[in-house]
Amino acid sequence: MTDPVTVLGISGSPRRHGNTETLLDAVLEGTREAGADVEKIVLRSLAYTPCRGCNVCHKTGVCIIEDDLTEIFDKIAAADVLIIASPIYSMGITAETKGLIDRAQYLWARKFILKTLYFTTEQTRRHKGIFVSTAGLGWGNVFDAAFPAITAFFNTTGFEYWDNVIANDLDRYGGIAGHPTALAAGREKGREVVALIRKMQAREGTET
Amino acid sequence: MTIDVLAFATSPRRRGNSETLLDWMLDAMKEEGAAVEKIVVPEVDIRPCRGCNACAKLNRCIQRDYMDYVHDRIVEADCIILASPIYCMGLTAQAKVLVDRAQVFCTRKYVLRLPVVPPERKGKRVGVFLSTAGQNWDHVFDAAIPSVKCFFNVIDVRDKDIRYLMVNNVDEKGAIACHPTARADAAALAGEVAAYLQEVGVA
Repeated sequence: MTDPVTVLGISGSPRRHGNTETLLDAVLEGTREAGADVEKIVLRSLAYTPCRGCNVCHKTGVCIIEDDLTEIFDKIAAADVLIIASPIYSMGITAETKGLIDRAQYLWARKFILKTLYFTTEQTRRHKGIFVSTAGLGWGNVFDAAFPAITAFFNTTGFEYWDNVIANDLDRYGGIAGHPTALAAGREKGREVVALIRKMQAREGTET
Repeated sequence: MTIDVLAFATSPRRRGNSETLLDWMLDAMKEEGAAVEKIVVPEVDIRPCRGCNACAKLNRCIQRDYMDYVHDRIVEADCIILASPIYCMGLTAQAKVLVDRAQVFCTRKYVLRLPVVPPERKGKRVGVFLSTAGQNWDHVFDAAIPSVKCFFNVIDVRDKDIRYLMVNNVDEKGAIACHPTARADAAALAGEVAAYLQEVGVA
């Protein structure tokens, strides 16, 4: 028997059940079909403050703020697959999503200042990160400025930035439901990531 | 006429590197005779955009908070300065709140097709992005810039009227004071902006 694959989806959209959350739901549905334990968190329903830039974590490795995000970071640490979902607002991720990402500073401090946290290559490979995003504009570059912050977040939390599930031009399609392929592709991506982790678990099982 | 400067300090850390860079520029603007207002974004009540899109119909935001005042000041100002440190390769969450709330200008301009500033003031506004980063990478500011351009575009500052002063490799509080050129660069930028605004007839 292998351990269940745990999937954590985090929606950073201020709008409930909008395009981004719907696309996230499709990916989560795919992971559920593949047998994963799935949890979805909606940032707008949580109470949290952004990073205060106090740098206390640079000395202690612990954030001085205790709020709803404290538990979220425990859940992130326990997940096999982390899916971060944010629509594009003003060419970037939402303020809510950035609020979560900036709070990971204490992990960055543990890794690079205190050197008390280290993810091996194998460990990182076993933890897959997916970025889900939608944009109203059709520009090919509309997601580009979002990627670096997402890359930083997956690096800091020990996930391999495995893939994007993104759909632009939604103003023209009249929303995600009108997009010809996005939802089906998202579901498929969800099935695929769980299958991949199962395969890695099985390989580890035969090696030990 | 006096040059009206509206500045946003968006770092959660008071009097840190990005705010120091901003203060240097504002001091120099005052010496040029400008009227200067600094808003410390983390200390005022500006809530995130709800993504409700009501502004596309109402031509105003449904939220009543300090952004009501900021909205009017953004329309009035001749020079708008956004100062943000780089956190995780982007603007701070606090700066992004302000940028996202400019959605009301975006819908006014591109959905409702209404003017943001009166026609006679078009092309007579300057935007400035001041930033600091702890990392020494040259590309550390790259992912912040599209959101900055977006912000200035929707508030009717032309792309060619945006100025950038971005200082990397300043991490600890106060590090910018040891930077060889930052202070002089901020003063020079203030002089250039004031001269430009005078040339186009603002003051």
